[in-house]
Amino acid sequence: MNDIFRKVNPMQTLTPVTPETTVATADVLTFTNVTKRYGALVVLDGVNLRIKSGEFICIIGHSGCGKSTLLNLAGGFIQPSGGEVRLRDKIITKPGPDRMVVFQNYSLLPWLTVFENVFLAVDAVYPRKRLPEKRAMVREYLNLVGLGEAMEKKPPQISGGMKQRVAIARALAIQPQVLLLDEPFGALDAITKEELQEELLTIWNRSKATVLMITHDIDEALFLADRLVMMTNGPAATIGEILTIPFDRPRNREQILEDPRYYDLRNQALSFLYERFAHQE
Amino acid sequence: MTALVTVAQVAKQFPLAGGNSYLALQGINLEIQRGEFISFIGHSGCGKSTLLNMIAGLDQPTHGQVWVGGRLVKQPGPDRMVVFQNYSLLPWLTVWDNIALAVEEVLGHLSPVEQRQIIQQHINLVGLTAAKDKLPAHLSGGMRQRVAIARALAIRPEVLLLDEPFGALDALTRGNLQEQLMRICEEHQVTTVMVTHDVDEAVFLSDRIVMLTNGPGSQIGNILTVDIPRPRRRMEVVKHPSYYSLRSEIIYFLNQQKRIKKMRSRAMTAVARHGLEKVNLELGFVPLTACAPLAVAQEKGLFAKHGLDEVHLVRESSWRGIVDGLVGGYLDAAQTPAGLPVWLTLGGHQDKPLPIVSSLTMTRNGNGITLAQKFYQQGIHTASQLRNYLQEQTEPHILGMVHPASMHNLLLRYWLAAAGIDPDRDVRLKTIPPAQMVADLKAGTIDGYCVGEPWNVRAALEGLGFTVATDQELWLDHPAKVLGVREDWGMRYPNTHIALVKALLEACHYCDQPQHREEIRHLLARPEYLGTDVRYIYLGEPGKLTCELNQPEYAHHRFYGEGLNRPSRTEHLWIMTQLARWGDVPFPRNWLEILERVCRVNVFTIAARELGLLGTTQTSRSPIRLFDGSEFTSNQDPIDYLNHLAIKRDFSVAEIVLERPQAA
Repeated sequence: MNDIFRKVNPMQTLTPVTPETTVATADVLTFTNVTKRYGALVVLDGVNLRIKSGEFICIIGHSGCGKSTLLNLAGGFIQPSGGEVRLRDKIITKPGPDRMVVFQNYSLLPWLTVFENVFLAVDAVYPRKRLPEKRAMVREYLNLVGLGEAMEKKPPQISGGMKQRVAIARALAIQPQVLLLDEPFGALDAITKEELQEELLTIWNRSKATVLMITHDIDEALFLADRLVMMTNGPAATIGEILTIPFDRPRNREQILEDPRYYDLRNQALSFLYERFAHQE
Repeated sequence: MTALVTVAQVAKQFPLAGGNSYLALQGINLEIQRGEFISFIGHSGCGKSTLLNMIAGLDQPTHGQVWVGGRLVKQPGPDRMVVFQNYSLLPWLTVWDNIALAVEEVLGHLSPVEQRQIIQQHINLVGLTAAKDKLPAHLSGGMRQRVAIARALAIRPEVLLLDEPFGALDALTRGNLQEQLMRICEEHQVTTVMVTHDVDEAVFLSDRIVMLTNGPGSQIGNILTVDIPRPRRRMEVVKHPSYYSLRSEIIYFLNQQKRIKKMRSRAMTAVARHGLEKVNLELGFVPLTACAPLAVAQEKGLFAKHGLDEVHLVRESSWRGIVDGLVGGYLDAAQTPAGLPVWLTLGGHQDKPLPIVSSLTMTRNGNGITLAQKFYQQGIHTASQLRNYLQEQTEPHILGMVHPASMHNLLLRYWLAAAGIDPDRDVRLKTIPPAQMVADLKAGTIDGYCVGEPWNVRAALEGLGFTVATDQELWLDHPAKVLGVREDWGMRYPNTHIALVKALLEACHYCDQPQHREEIRHLLARPEYLGTDVRYIYLGEPGKLTCELNQPEYAHHRFYGEGLNRPSRTEHLWIMTQLARWGDVPFPRNWLEILERVCRVNVFTIAARELGLLGTTQTSRSPIRLFDGSEFTSNQDPIDYLNHLAIKRDFSVAEIVLERPQAA
């Protein structure tokens, strides 16, 4: 958990690292030789990935590369045909509140208010907590995503960006160990998207969650991620290459553009996706 | 050649409830040639779709006219086909039938056989031959949009109008469709106008990119020409030296629009205090080692000491931002390249002379010329060796610099020309932001650059290039960065101006003292200033003067000393000759007046006296001495000097009419 201090200010690396955060136990999510088949169709073949506590991982690849399958395996919605997926040392066999998913289409209940949408989830996961405590949790996370003023509104009354904020608040209010994001900003316009990316980083910093996020957007990944996992094309897709994104945190979009390494990384990712693993529908 | 599409003086107003109206667009003038690919880019609400709709005839301008193919546009027509983001296919018809419907409607005079041929040809064109009998619901979003494009092209419009055609698709699918669209447009010479908010899409596809300012009353802010040759392939485009420059130009424009919106919402009122007219200042700087005096004045409380207790430093990634900030009046003052005050005063920015005053030279030196490592390995260590090498080359060589009015540009050109290399004909100079220069050098898309530190030493430390010349070899102690304010600002806030010069001169003095070097290096490395590794930042004397790979040399800065900080008329005059030499601005016939307006020695002198730093007020009478042995003195005839330079452009001499000095 000390990892989080490293992110707040890279200049202050003085926080002592406790012995338990050794490499082996710090892995929160591990994919070991994971294969996924549907009948004769091999979707994923031989995926190995170890994700450390507090890491922000982005996965990129063309449609059909199995990246959603990867996320669904982590979510416990489906089971691997071969190999295993573990949350810390437990094999994942079903969905659970320790891994929350946020989808592109928000998945809010339109007849409930913003507050009630989040409350529903908190209540389901923490049935034994006292009501005032649960209500306080809901308010805390809605404030965190800047929706303190909009709690009584219903989803049809708010913008797409606000809906996605609600979905993120709902996922975080459960205090999951891992946040699984399935292209959460894909449906938003450029400016809202950038705002939400910045908010997501702020929240991630505070919540200490480990993030696994699917994206199609190289610049989004370079801004957000610690590592960018690039998938080869399906069928039988696997991890082709992993880019380590070295920019200091907290990150500033304009300053990243001033860093020569940005151009290098961007060209590597473009070359991977459009040359080495180009894809036609 | 007459344009295919002409948009003349177009304005568009929308009526609002309650009798008011909203001015969406104004003063739009644009000509589109046959076969061109044009993009409109801007934030939501900038009127880019409205403009497209007026070309389509779906909407009518309130003022002005739109002409397509010599006809005034009054209504939609099959010569202008629009493709929208949401495909607009009929869900109960197959791919074939969706296209057939349009073909029958518009090309009904053709025989059924011909019609079928056209349909088949366009389905093949977008690669949907195998899917021609499918219903839209059975297609992916990308495939549906290909059907919409095939349908639009099948009726052979004169202009294809695309309104965010790929907006609903994910970034990678979009990338693939862009390649297909480009191939089709190139093969069929289709004239295309596309609305987009995607910077990469615009650069990749367009011949020209029209950037629209924010509404209300959106206008064309700028038009960029994409000088990347066709046919284009994505990775070739990405590796082209113009790609990241264009991209950053558009990102800069879009960010600037966002900022202007914010600026408008919080109007800055002057806060007067301590006998100063304004103590709340926005000061612009660019993250270079040379910004040390501003950083020190802020961190050491020197601004506050002189009464300026609400100074905010505004970090700009490029000199463009500084220019826009001064011109737009949302920066009170800025660190500028030494040539910028004269350049702006002479009308270098959009041909509109804007008097800028300089009352303090903050730094000298600190620049260097870097060449890619391959030149070193081939034994090219001097400018004359470079000239000999270039004479044997056929492909163009590209060198980067940061701004036409920067000393980097002027010194680089002087250095090249002195060795007999014409900076416009024997090489190509490109304006590139510093961070991209290092990346471009690594990618091999440029051959070298002239820029301020830390970018020369960085290239050397990373083994990408070597410093072929520093200030030592060009013009020792040349002015590098000066303080610039608008003349009208200086007249409105005279005491604030003096206080600002005092704070910064004191900071220069601080920077000059060797015992402060380490502290300043670490201060500058912080993210709010340079945001870089401290090992790239040097302040002191360089160890070696000759170029060598193992021992990277760095350009050294001078911040303070006798005759170093006082604005120098001779230096600004030399800058004027060089700007005219390369055709940036005319040489002003009224150069004495211009010098008088730009160099505010009295402000400097008052500030220095009040600080008790009298040593700095001495006038340097010695001429400028350049490395090629030439001298330039204050009583020299500048036009005669210009005429005697061997390599130059056809410079012009003109009277630059400035408004009479007045407070803003």
